[in-house]
Amino acid sequence: MEVLLLFSVFVIATCGLIYELVAGTLASYLLGDSVTQFSTIIGVYLFAMGIGAWLSRFFKKELLSWFIQLEILVGFVGGISSAALFLLFEHALSFRLVLYLLVGLTGTLVGLELPLLMNILKNRYEFRDLVSRVFTFDYIGALLASIVFPLLLVPHLGLIRTSCFFGILNVLVALIVLVKFRQEIKWAAYLKIKAVAVIVCLAGIFFQADAIMSFAEGMAFRDPVIFAHTSSYQRIVLTSGKSDLRLYLNGNLQFSSSDEYRYHEALVHPVMMYSGHRERVLVLGGGDGMAARELLKYPDVEHITLVDLDPAMTRLFKGNTLLTKLNAHSLQSPKLSVVNADAFQWIKENKDPYDVVIIDFPDPGNYAVGKLYTTAFYRHLRRSLNENSVVVVQSTSPYVAPRAFWCVDTTLRACGYQTIPYHTYVPSFGEWGYVMASPGALHQQQDHVPEGLRYFAAGVFPQMRLFTADMDKRDVRPNQLNNQVLVQYFEDEWGRYQE
Amino acid sequence: MALVAGGTVTLGQYLACAGKTDRYAHITGKINGASAAVGHRLREGGFPEPVVVGHTNTVIAGSGVAGLTAARKLRQHNIPFKVLELEPRVGGNAGWGENNYSPYPLGAHYLPLPNLDNKPLLALLEEAGILTGYDPAGVPVYNETDLCFDPEERLFIHNRWQEGLVPQLGISGATAAEIRRFLAEMEHLRWAKGVDQRFAFDIPVAFSSTDPQFTALDQLTMKAWMQQRGYVSEELTWYIDYCCRDDYGAAADVVSAWAGIHYFAGRKGRAANAESSQVLTWPQGNGRLIQHLLQFSEDALLSNSLVYRVTPVGDKVHVDYFDVKEHRTKRIIADHCILAIPRFVAHRLLPDMAPASGFVYSPWLVANVTLDEVPSSSGYPLSWDNVVYKGRSLGYVNAQQQTLSAVAPQKRVITWYLPLDHLEPVASRQYALALDHAHWVKLITDELEVAHRGIHRLIRQIDIQVWGHGMIRPYPGFISGHALKETLQSSCPNIFTAHADLSGVSIFEEAFYHGNKAAEAVLARC
Repeated sequence: MEVLLLFSVFVIATCGLIYELVAGTLASYLLGDSVTQFSTIIGVYLFAMGIGAWLSRFFKKELLSWFIQLEILVGFVGGISSAALFLLFEHALSFRLVLYLLVGLTGTLVGLELPLLMNILKNRYEFRDLVSRVFTFDYIGALLASIVFPLLLVPHLGLIRTSCFFGILNVLVALIVLVKFRQEIKWAAYLKIKAVAVIVCLAGIFFQADAIMSFAEGMAFRDPVIFAHTSSYQRIVLTSGKSDLRLYLNGNLQFSSSDEYRYHEALVHPVMMYSGHRERVLVLGGGDGMAARELLKYPDVEHITLVDLDPAMTRLFKGNTLLTKLNAHSLQSPKLSVVNADAFQWIKENKDPYDVVIIDFPDPGNYAVGKLYTTAFYRHLRRSLNENSVVVVQSTSPYVAPRAFWCVDTTLRACGYQTIPYHTYVPSFGEWGYVMASPGALHQQQDHVPEGLRYFAAGVFPQMRLFTADMDKRDVRPNQLNNQVLVQYFEDEWGRYQE
Repeated sequence: MALVAGGTVTLGQYLACAGKTDRYAHITGKINGASAAVGHRLREGGFPEPVVVGHTNTVIAGSGVAGLTAARKLRQHNIPFKVLELEPRVGGNAGWGENNYSPYPLGAHYLPLPNLDNKPLLALLEEAGILTGYDPAGVPVYNETDLCFDPEERLFIHNRWQEGLVPQLGISGATAAEIRRFLAEMEHLRWAKGVDQRFAFDIPVAFSSTDPQFTALDQLTMKAWMQQRGYVSEELTWYIDYCCRDDYGAAADVVSAWAGIHYFAGRKGRAANAESSQVLTWPQGNGRLIQHLLQFSEDALLSNSLVYRVTPVGDKVHVDYFDVKEHRTKRIIADHCILAIPRFVAHRLLPDMAPASGFVYSPWLVANVTLDEVPSSSGYPLSWDNVVYKGRSLGYVNAQQQTLSAVAPQKRVITWYLPLDHLEPVASRQYALALDHAHWVKLITDELEVAHRGIHRLIRQIDIQVWGHGMIRPYPGFISGHALKETLQSSCPNIFTAHADLSGVSIFEEAFYHGNKAAEAVLARC
């Protein structure tokens, strides 16, 4: 009998520490700054355990029943903690308050466990013996938890499953004790039902962990979210931090207001420099209006057609004052017309030629977007161009994903385009690449760029065309609809980089 | 000859457990295949005397691939003809349908890259704009939007989707080696030639070598051959069963080894801009090819017209048919007739023709399932062909794979294929025709739930096509045997047969070959 109770000390200790580690890890995932998060979480948790220990004095009768009640409750609260925190992250007014309340509650309950158990055991052991045994098992359990948590649990189970798993262990202890000591326990049947119900609930969460994660992920942002909207096509999130405004689409950073000028100046001005005529400009993607803002700096641009899939995006960047300040009201310009359409369908049907085409699609991270980077797309695009039209394609990072970058170049060349690949440094993205292309020869046509640019100048361009050995041309296959090699290169290279 | 003695689960058992379930009550749809009833009128007979409604050079009975191919060839030589089709729609096994969200195939849904020797087929594809030209080495270049888009194939095995259909996840080293050995042997047989310098396995089948060392393979089952060659692992055995069921509607213990190997070794196609294993596919499946062929015969097509008797009279042929819409019998008097219909129907029309003994057909079910959205899945993403390891069905094809939109349409149509091979064909056919929509819905949805738990909530509609005689089944001895050879020699000089049946392999290329051949025979007499 005593062995069983001591074994439960061991399990309780393991579980207790796991809940603490889960909370700390989760807080540093979601809130960043892991030193602060871990330190405050541990502090609050230990303090709450103290409160629990103090509260234990009020339990005088039916200790075993209370102990089982407690185990079930700890298992439940600890078990659901990470799923609840993930889900509440975006919705709670003050996530920190919820986080610390939950940590406090778990700590209090865990703090109650050992004193209660020692009271139960006090008549079965010498005091000296009791203290020695309980604490020995307690610390062994803690050691086990601290080793398996980073090595086994986080990588293999993930946070949600880990806390569910240990929650279930906690309740199982309650259930075993309940069965062994059923004669000494009041309300045994009621407790049994409760324990089973909690186990079922936790097992449910355990098996739905992926669904919960995918629902909750992408909710994790560095800065406070000031706008979030799920359109028919994507999840649009705007965050505002101390120094910048950031736009995320499906959780991927699109720009940071602090350095987007580097990205957009490098996207627009080189292609304008290489274009003899630039009356009619087409922008594919770029619903944020930033590329259009750069284009409108040229008086000879007469008309811009902006094709972006998502009306929610263009509406947002037309109407929100924070954002119109960023794009200089470009989407309201009388020179610009917005078309909300699928770029591939649109380009297939369009017959009007454009002088300049800016292609600013999301990175080719999936098979759907990958189609917009294929030979089929660039062949259809040809019909919207003159012999001297110039195109630029944002082409992901040549440093992180050199094969993906050079695949865009190779694909354009396979369709008969002349190309000039180049790149620039955008602090919030890293080293970023573009490919300029034309059905005819590419020659610089203009020396001047508009006044007031913060980054780009004609003299900078030769430097942007230099590729160092770590980004240099790779031998890759053209991207076709029937091979989608670009998506494979991209996933492979970015996947390795993020590991 | 090994008859299918019934799988582990019989349809009867399915029926027993397939009671109407409320969970699936929201799923609408219908069963197509009503023409089976019209077709069965053939057996009843008792048609009144027909009135002569016209004269023409050639009557083609059947508007499947063989019939429309023959029509194309005749039109190219300005020979007048009429095409009579029992169904309201054209296309036969290559037919297609369409709902609010997408066109979809009713049967055959892809064409492997044709062999470079198959010039007539390459010419057809060039004419249809599917083949855009040849590279300097003479290898065809295909229109990129007609080649199957990536990702192409995935297999649900050990609760995960893996890339490709050959099992890889969780297989032992020995199995992996066995699979490599098998594929290497298939590659060897692909290029093997007989003493007559013909390929051992070719498409069309008629061009294959008659060297006994290869034709002997038609005398045993694929399963027996596999055992002889030491291919015994569970995963490879499953894969070969899958392939045989895919091409013949029957497993490796039923079809001949020659046919089973032909599936792999017959295909020698290449493209300048695609891997040789790739296929051509369209949202409406091979309906794309039918639509092209139809341009040559649409004005000569009489649908809802059941041909019930073909009589040689002097040097003419009287073709009698029942106009299903007008409920009248009519006669066209022609110089020639091409029976581009399955062999088991042909002999009912032409009293002189020998009964179709030896011709056994695999029944099939094709279901088009409309989904509110793509079900989520772990592992490799939604592909064109999605197969569940050891599933009863052959999995499903994503009808919208060839969409150019970067944003996947939310509503989906998937085409789900089930060869009804758990019972002997006649019994299976009877059961299949007796089953009502609710039972099919239950059967199909339960199968889909294996890989996509909760998918029933996403299913709006299931439209079912039952193919009572889906495809010819090449039992051992059939392809090399007498049944085929006798059929190929027609007793009437001006009546010709054209159907994939006559090859023993139910694929587009064979129907196309026989269609052309019959038309050429007509042309030779004109």
